[in-house]
Amino acid sequence: MPVPPEVLYMDKRIKLIALGLVFCFLLLFLQLNNIQIIQEKSLRYKSTNVYDDITQNVLDLPRGEILTSDGTVIAESKPSHDAYGYQRIYPKGSLFADITGYFDVVDGSIQYGVESVYNNYLETHVTAGGSPGKLISQQTGTDSIVLTINAKLQKIAEQALGGRVGAVVAIDPVNGDILALYANPTYNPNVLASHNASFVQEEAKKLEDLSDPAASPLIDGATQLTYPPGSTFKIVTTSTIYDYDPHLAAISYPFLPQLSLPDSNVPLHNFDNEVCGGSLALALAVSCDTTYSQIGLDLGGNLMYKQAKRFGFDQVPPIDLPGATPSVFPSPSTISPPFLAYSAIGQGNVRESALQDAMVIAAVANGGKLMTPHVLGRVIGPDGQIVYTYHPHMWLRATTPATAAAVRELMLGVTENPAGTAATQTWPTGVQVAAKTGTAQNGTNACIDDWLVATAPAGNKEVPKVAVAAVVSGASAGVVCDGTGAAVAGPVVSTVLTAALKEGL
Amino acid sequence: MTTSDTLSNKSGITIRHSRIWRNETQRVARFLKVKPRRRSELGLMVVGIAVVISAMTLASLAATNQIPPHVYVPIAIIIGVCVIIQIINRYLVPFADPVIMPITLVLNGMGWIMIKRLEPLAATSQLLWTVVGIGVYTLTLVFIRRSRDLDKYRYLIGFFAFFLLLTPLIPHFGYSVDGARLWVRLSSTLEFQPVEIAKILLVVFFASFFAEKKELFAIPTKRVGNVLLPDLRVLGPVALAAGAALLIILAEKDVGFSLIIFLVFLMMLWAASGRWGYVIIGVGLFGLATFFAAHILGQIGGRFAVWIDPWKYYNTSGYYAGYQPVQGELAFGRGGMFGSGLGLGLVHYIPNQGTTPLPVATSDFIFAVFGEELGLVGTTALMVGYVLIIGAGLRAAARAKSDFTKLLCLGLILTFGLQTFFIMAGVTRLLPLTGVTLPLVSYGGSSLVANYALIALLMRISDETNTIAS
Repeated sequence: MPVPPEVLYMDKRIKLIALGLVFCFLLLFLQLNNIQIIQEKSLRYKSTNVYDDITQNVLDLPRGEILTSDGTVIAESKPSHDAYGYQRIYPKGSLFADITGYFDVVDGSIQYGVESVYNNYLETHVTAGGSPGKLISQQTGTDSIVLTINAKLQKIAEQALGGRVGAVVAIDPVNGDILALYANPTYNPNVLASHNASFVQEEAKKLEDLSDPAASPLIDGATQLTYPPGSTFKIVTTSTIYDYDPHLAAISYPFLPQLSLPDSNVPLHNFDNEVCGGSLALALAVSCDTTYSQIGLDLGGNLMYKQAKRFGFDQVPPIDLPGATPSVFPSPSTISPPFLAYSAIGQGNVRESALQDAMVIAAVANGGKLMTPHVLGRVIGPDGQIVYTYHPHMWLRATTPATAAAVRELMLGVTENPAGTAATQTWPTGVQVAAKTGTAQNGTNACIDDWLVATAPAGNKEVPKVAVAAVVSGASAGVVCDGTGAAVAGPVVSTVLTAALKEGL
Repeated sequence: MTTSDTLSNKSGITIRHSRIWRNETQRVARFLKVKPRRRSELGLMVVGIAVVISAMTLASLAATNQIPPHVYVPIAIIIGVCVIIQIINRYLVPFADPVIMPITLVLNGMGWIMIKRLEPLAATSQLLWTVVGIGVYTLTLVFIRRSRDLDKYRYLIGFFAFFLLLTPLIPHFGYSVDGARLWVRLSSTLEFQPVEIAKILLVVFFASFFAEKKELFAIPTKRVGNVLLPDLRVLGPVALAAGAALLIILAEKDVGFSLIIFLVFLMMLWAASGRWGYVIIGVGLFGLATFFAAHILGQIGGRFAVWIDPWKYYNTSGYYAGYQPVQGELAFGRGGMFGSGLGLGLVHYIPNQGTTPLPVATSDFIFAVFGEELGLVGTTALMVGYVLIIGAGLRAAARAKSDFTKLLCLGLILTFGLQTFFIMAGVTRLLPLTGVTLPLVSYGGSSLVANYALIALLMRISDETNTIAS
């Protein structure tokens, strides 16, 4: 009996089986295309309906605490004995609203601030073990966030601002720690974290329903609003001289009450039509507009823009709070000489947030290194172990150490020269303070915005401890519409600066 | 062998070394000057290590915003496993296909990354099972030096397979999970599914039987009226065995494994005999059995109904539960082309429930989680990985020199391939769901260990065929 050929051709059948398997996987690939590409939209739509009630559970769990660097609890979760399980509480009310943001469990959303940026740590999650042994026995819990903010300083900043519209930012120039960050108007996050849905809706509407959306209390006035910086911008202009055209620093400028500008028949007046000029040191101390406008015209738009950018203008500040707004210096292509003269003194479309102005003076204080501003200090795990520590790092190299030193030296004149614009302020004794005032006409209203930025200790080779920037809007109630930076913002800065030095932060 | 030996008599040791490790295949290969393939394998492993470590880091960054603390522990394990496999392969299977092991390890690693996030407590045990799996892989290669050795122990292996299949039915010893009585509990912490090991042993048994009797299956010797038919009595013992295996697994109420074992049996029989008649009769019988079983076993009827319209049974529980397939399909849909990114899917561990929104996301439905987080790109890549292993297995089957080895290799790769296909097709709703694990990726110790043993046998056969074919 002959063996039929098919018995010998087992390989042929193996090939057929292989083909069959290929066909199976081809079908599978088509089905994957079907459900992942063709039906993607409809499935995604169905998914949102189905998942709402599942993800809710994560929101019903406790969240970690947020603490200030000096140990004050500014956000915590307490059992609430209602449908939601936990109530988010902000014990200090509105004081830290712009920093924490709030947790709206009714809406299932986490709004603004540290609550949203560091949600992964704060919400209940699988926590990392504290030792290699714990790698095996993972657990769930929440981490706590310790901020760089100092609660006492924050309170002093709030009191110093005294309800007026404006912002105060205190920053450690050496490592970029934000020590205080307060702005008016603000809101009480406890109201928006309430479990009463209709109440929350009503209150949120009140906060949002304003004629000027930029003035909403939900907007953080320190990082999300910009003002014309006025003469505080002369810090950037001065550093441009030393970086690009040092011989301008040696000239004695003519004493003038006003400067006639090219291509314009409207001259630029000094504040109160004062006559000023002379050396650069004197011009900065008395904040001479005619001198600085001339310098701006001499330097040109390209260099001015380049330097502003090196200080962080035109870029979103890398602070770990959501929604920070870039400060503006008009780009050289859009700026003609008469406007450039105004831009050089912080007017004419230059806009700056309080945070950015604090960063400018911090960079000067820190030898030209602009550190990344941040509110996160460290993350503490449920067992008290440190999960994460923030490591300071440089964001931009704003200018050279030599330029920074020269500019700082000139800024000492603002407080030490009897003619200096901030000389009459009460500065802490026994320590040198470098400062700059700003009195800016705000295009949107006839009133004046008052600025002051200062840093200390600012002596030669001293390590700076704090840089403070304050802006008070001239439009706010209780402010003289035509005040000066020194008179209005000066006391705010000197109070915060003195307190910061006393705290020994 | 001690260190002092090595130092005092280096050349002597080398010779002893080679005597210990080198087998017949390697002597042939040396004679034929076949080049080992381990260097390509090493290169692929380096790529695989990079893939797994970066995936692990990404998943952790997504979940906790940080590089995992003590990340060096898993990295050391990943690299260590690869180094060990490299060394083992260099000594034991130097000429085997270089693609199989790197893909196996990447699949294992990717699965572990998913499990770690979805079911943190299970991840550690999966890691331990991986180590056991590598151990079993090594032991398989050490003890089975020639694939044909297995042919000698046909009945022993067959009996052992049946013994394993029966163990879950022993009272107090076996127990059920989700209705299927497939589990055996050895102690409070150690439990396994004997069917995973039994399926490999059954394949060995079938291969051995078919290889010996294949002419008898194929050649018609029995006259029925005017027609000559093959003598079905020859088929008796093996058909009986297959039938018994099916009955046992059905008694344990698991459709997935019975289907896979039956299909593998039929295809091996067809490959051996070339007679379509067997296939037709087999499929007919199975169809009939399924039809009646659908009425008796609620499981089968439920799986069919849910397959056709899972939304209808979204809120039903028991055999007619549509919640899980719906969640699986939604996960695929959310993934789209590129997926949400590792660790960013909606299917994640919910602490206060101690589970994920998608039930058994770490075992049967893990493919859906890949679908959500890596998108079509990721699911296709995963599928291609399996297809490459299956391809390597089929190539080895086609090149194997003996009927037994051919059938064994075919049976093994069919078991592996069909299991992969059935669970992938079930989760994507291409076919009704059969609750089997996705080989190498899913959570499950017995499945992982069994698949490492299966891969070891493939490597052994591939090693043999590569020396002889060239």
